[in-house]
Amino acid sequence: MKKRTVKAAGAGALALVISAAGLAGCGSQDDGVVTIEMVQYKPEAVDVFEELEQRFNETHDDIRLVIESPNDAMTILKTRFIREDYPDIVAIGGDINYSNFLDANLFMDISDFDGLADIKQAYLDMDKELEYVPMDGVYAVPYMANAAGVLYNREMFEQYGWNIPTTWDEFIALCEEIQAEGVQPLYFGYRDVWTCLAPWNAMAVDLAPSDVCYQVNAGETTFAENYREVADKQKQLLDYAQNDPFAFSYNDACTAFARGESAMYVIGSYAVPQIRSVNPDIDIDSFVFPASNDPEENILNSGNDLQLSVMANCENKEAAYEVLRFLLEDENVQYYVDDQSAVPCKKGEFELASMLDSMKPYIEEGRLADYQDHHYPAEMSVDAMIQTYLLDDSETALDDFMERFDTEWVRYNRDVIRKVEEYTQQHPDSE
Amino acid sequence: MKNGKMKNDRQRTFMLITIPVVVLFFFFNTFPLLRGVYYSFTNFKGYGSYEIVGLRNYIDLFSDGRVGNSYLFTVKYAVVCTVIVNVVSLLLALGLNSRIKGKTVLRGIYFIPNILGGLVVGYIFSFFFTYILPYVGQALGIEAISSSMLSRESTAWFAIVLVGAWQSIAMNTIIYISGLQTVPEDVYEAGSIDGATGWRKFKSLTFPLIIPFFSINMVLCMKNFLMVFDQIMALTKGGPSQSTESISYLIYQNGINGGQFGFQSANAVVFFVVIVTISVLQLRFTGKKEEQL
Repeated sequence: MKKRTVKAAGAGALALVISAAGLAGCGSQDDGVVTIEMVQYKPEAVDVFEELEQRFNETHDDIRLVIESPNDAMTILKTRFIREDYPDIVAIGGDINYSNFLDANLFMDISDFDGLADIKQAYLDMDKELEYVPMDGVYAVPYMANAAGVLYNREMFEQYGWNIPTTWDEFIALCEEIQAEGVQPLYFGYRDVWTCLAPWNAMAVDLAPSDVCYQVNAGETTFAENYREVADKQKQLLDYAQNDPFAFSYNDACTAFARGESAMYVIGSYAVPQIRSVNPDIDIDSFVFPASNDPEENILNSGNDLQLSVMANCENKEAAYEVLRFLLEDENVQYYVDDQSAVPCKKGEFELASMLDSMKPYIEEGRLADYQDHHYPAEMSVDAMIQTYLLDDSETALDDFMERFDTEWVRYNRDVIRKVEEYTQQHPDSE
Repeated sequence: MKNGKMKNDRQRTFMLITIPVVVLFFFFNTFPLLRGVYYSFTNFKGYGSYEIVGLRNYIDLFSDGRVGNSYLFTVKYAVVCTVIVNVVSLLLALGLNSRIKGKTVLRGIYFIPNILGGLVVGYIFSFFFTYILPYVGQALGIEAISSSMLSRESTAWFAIVLVGAWQSIAMNTIIYISGLQTVPEDVYEAGSIDGATGWRKFKSLTFPLIIPFFSINMVLCMKNFLMVFDQIMALTKGGPSQSTESISYLIYQNGINGGQFGFQSANAVVFFVVIVTISVLQLRFTGKKEEQL
């Protein structure tokens, strides 16, 4: 008797192991109702998507939409992809991860999706530039964009009569003026290395060509030629920052700006919900970072914050398209825009958040360019390289940084550069 | 005959207990390890298609400045931490093992850091280093701590040492206390007749008798500190200037978040070999010095 129990326990444990090892795959169709599973990566937008999911399911009997918003969604997605467990739609940012997923042939060509005609061309072009080598077809619907530049405390600006600068010299003069009033012009949270990229991106769109990374991969130019001025100017900003900006984190900087400890904060619109959580009454507006002395060259740093891609092995393409159509309905776009202070990628009249007032002309005219770091491989840690450079007081700091940028780029992008070389050999007439 | 059958039965029972565990261990430990070794020969990004690249990852490892720095930092951190932790916890154990009032309460208090999560402790210390310590430094006019320790390359690593040590001293103290309790009182009595007191008593009697505990502490400490991760995540995220990137942090950061799954698998394989080697050497070295009563 006793023996049998032990045996049964052993068999049970074995069965457990085997079933655990064999747990894979998922069904997506039952009783004629098609289930579409969507994973979205923005933790800030969980509530919005819950509401949208509910609205969709109330109006559709034949399709059931399930939207998941896991914490640290990018890591979750990657681990799911390792197990070859794919959702039907992913809503991610237009950054290097998109390039990599696309390069791994994970996405479906959706050029026959009718909704694409309503999307602003500038954002579709950004996705094209994210392809390592030019590909046929469209693989993502840009949904929401964000805008990065300089957030400023409108109340403070009105109180002292400061004006929005349109050139680099004006910007520096403004910083001097603010400092002279005894107010802190800028606040940085450079301990979180990624925040080093906020001023970097905002200035690089003005000073460097938007396809600089592709050009470098094709061997046409170097970063040293294009980024020197960006790097130099970012270091100059330190003169107007708080004492020891490397000691403070992103949260610290948001809190400080929210409490009126600084007049301006160089960061993207994505920081506004965080700032408002500290001080709900703060009146924020933002302007385009004027890194160049030619106002014509200064454009808005805006990228695809959220775009929708259908996975290559989605079985119910029509149902997936129906979800995309639903999400792109004006009413739903406006709902998202209101909640997240986002910039819609869809053409049409939408009411934008007041904190985008000074950026509106740029958005309407389409004078914008993508974040340059969307092309940087994450493992290269350009953000940490910028931090290293900003902390480096030696005279050769700038030269060292530029040299490092170029050498490390080659090392981390070896496989991509090889691909671009092969492509240019096969298509000698392109570009 | 009957005896043989019983032995057989016994063996079968043992087998039935052992096999499921072995299978579980194989599936969740050995198999992933072997997969990792396989991926270390590819340019796998963590998903999608990949190619076998032979030894390229291993060759790259030895020419990669960032990996080199992470090894230097981790070893420096582990050695300094191990020394500090063992010295302090041995002293604490000696104190807490002596006849003092409220011994049990004190033991309980000293054990608290161990039951707190690494990240929680990290975030609390992060606040301490960023706001409280500089404030104290400025108030007292002490230059060295009047700006955040975490924002300077020269001090950030030591801040992490402090937090790591603060947390692991608890467990090591408990192991030392249990070690000290295995030393029978009559040894001390015999020693005191021969005139062994104070430092002599510790050096010639106590320490040799707790060497097994010392060696287990050294090995555990070294292994834990070489794999430092939580504290870095909470305190510096590898900064400033990438000066506090530990090996585990780099493997996680670039292998999972970045697209270097293959390359960092190679790093993990090398790291595994390094840890095994260090642990074996340590056990050999201290094992030779053990005394038996």
